[in-house]
Amino acid sequence: MFTPTPRVQVPSVAAKGEVFQVKALISHQMETGLRRDPQGDVIPRKIINRFACRYNDIVVFNVDLHEAMAANPYIEFYLRATESGQLEFSWEEDGGHTYALTHQLTVG
Amino acid sequence: MEKIERVGFTRRALLTAAVAGGAGFAGPALVAPLTANVNDDAVELIKQLNGKIPMESDRLHLAMPRVFPTGYTVPLFLEVDTAMTETDHMRYARVLAPKNPLIEVATFHFVPQRSEPRVWTRIRLAEPQYVLAVVEMNDGALLMTKTWVEVATNGCT
Repeated sequence: MFTPTPRVQVPSVAAKGEVFQVKALISHQMETGLRRDPQGDVIPRKIINRFACRYNDIVVFNVDLHEAMAANPYIEFYLRATESGQLEFSWEEDGGHTYALTHQLTVG
Repeated sequence: MEKIERVGFTRRALLTAAVAGGAGFAGPALVAPLTANVNDDAVELIKQLNGKIPMESDRLHLAMPRVFPTGYTVPLFLEVDTAMTETDHMRYARVLAPKNPLIEVATFHFVPQRSEPRVWTRIRLAEPQYVLAVVEMNDGALLMTKTWVEVATNGCT
């Protein structure tokens, strides 16, 4: 089993008030719980069920994902640059595990 | 204890509720989808999920390919025409795929003045269907739109 790897593409610098793009990807199988293995048993569901983006500890964007999201979920969204600070991205998996990434943003 | 609760709506649960409520879903998929039927079913579905009746709106722009070779990773672009100010913004956008075994796809939550009303992602589709997008605005209004996507393979199993 490989470890899901999160990846984010965000600019490091933005002008104040500017809209910037964020691309967030995590390599995850997103097992729906509908497939069967070669023995015929159901493979249990295991998906990323929540993605959140925090900008200086304020949640500015979050997504509730379900089984119908594609494997290796990729989400592209846009944020407004208000102040310099830290962007935290977190992906929560079924079972409670969280994958996180942080990114420093300078707004000038 | 790790019990994973399935909170999504399965087709079976909704079909049972719909039949019990007297509002029948359209039967097996027709070759040429009738827009009248699909609209009613979509509105019914959203009414059961949200408790409110959605309005078809031009402010929502749901862009997906009309035809796509695989159902495993179908691109989806959703944009809503709103200024995202405190007085006019959308709270969340929900994507539904009524013909999938599990209907709910994702719910995107936005914050006024911080996130833009635009998102791009990839989803799984089981069969050719109308994909629905429902948006709740800050005044409680529900707006919806749909787009027809024809996928060649079943991406859900």
